[in-house]
Amino acid sequence: MSCSPFDLRDYYFKDLAENARRLTEVHVKTCAHCREELDRLRGTETALLALPDEEIPQRIGFVSDPVFQPSAFRRGWDALWGSAARLGFASAATLSVALLVFSLTRPVPQASVPAPAISRTALEADFSKRLNDAVGKAVAESESRQARQTRELLAASETRHALETQAMMVRVQEYLDVEKKRMNTLLLASNDAGSANGDVR
Amino acid sequence: MILRAVEDADLIRKARRGDVEAYNLLISRWERRVYNYLLRIVTNREDALDLSQDVFLKAYQNLRKLDDPARFAPWLYRIAHNEAYSLFRKRRPEGETEELHPETLEGAATLGGNAVFPVELTLAVSSALRKLTADQRETVILKIYQGFKFEEIAEIVAAPVSTVKSRLYTALDLLKNELAPVKARGVS
Repeated sequence: MSCSPFDLRDYYFKDLAENARRLTEVHVKTCAHCREELDRLRGTETALLALPDEEIPQRIGFVSDPVFQPSAFRRGWDALWGSAARLGFASAATLSVALLVFSLTRPVPQASVPAPAISRTALEADFSKRLNDAVGKAVAESESRQARQTRELLAASETRHALETQAMMVRVQEYLDVEKKRMNTLLLASNDAGSANGDVR
Repeated sequence: MILRAVEDADLIRKARRGDVEAYNLLISRWERRVYNYLLRIVTNREDALDLSQDVFLKAYQNLRKLDDPARFAPWLYRIAHNEAYSLFRKRRPEGETEELHPETLEGAATLGGNAVFPVELTLAVSSALRKLTADQRETVILKIYQGFKFEEIAEIVAAPVSTVKSRLYTALDLLKNELAPVKARGVS
């Protein structure tokens, strides 16, 4: 069992962080047991490495066969996509060509035909005309509305006046009827008195 | 190593464009290592050679799927690992569920039926390696003989780093005990 602060095998295979490696290194210098453990690891690795590599009995190689080779277009396409620099260059070239074609085929602006001059006076006149039209229309609408309201009010007033006149006529007629009845009553009373005086004589 | 990686990346780019000669050059850089990796796993020269050819053919066919050319080595060994285990599965007797053992060898002093390294230590190492499980043996081969980092081994064998370490350290403990008598006799 190792007394090292970190796994001695991690230390041996250089798989420790720098700080841990330094701590283990300091420990190993003072710990005979851990040094022996490291020696055993080293000895095992050395023994394993006594088994040498063999030469390959037959070299491996492939023959360039056009049948199995990608087409020229495919190779070019793969090469284009396989390289960011080339792809960037191709994109820039395509953009340049597109700009060039656009600049060559773009319709030339007609410099000989002057743009129609815009008259401030005409604009102002047009604006005034529109404004006056709008104001006139609004005034006409307002007057029309006022006239309609006046007619309606007048009609209502006339109706009310006619009703009041009619009511007053009814009241006058009633008064006259009452007066007529009273006169008749007085006349009858006077006739009765005259008859009485004649009998006495 | 960095220069080699840069050159590999260059060859990979050329091979992707259909340059077979560039790919052959790339093979020549890796074939010996891949062959020995497979040889130590399947312990048969013929199988190791056949598998090596399959590995490089598959690598060529899938080269465009390799995202980062700098990761070519683990990617190539991942293909080799898959090919070797595919062979194990094909040859596994029906119904056998135990640990896969590579092609059986007749004697401790042979590899693939032929005497390979006529030295006592070499034979002892071969014998000791065969006593490991297939997973342990492969981890030892990838770490000790092929020099991969733990993370790369984890990528090749598709297992967590902790599992890879556990397999390696257990294997080293076993190998240490197996090889101790030979070393004690002073062969090393």
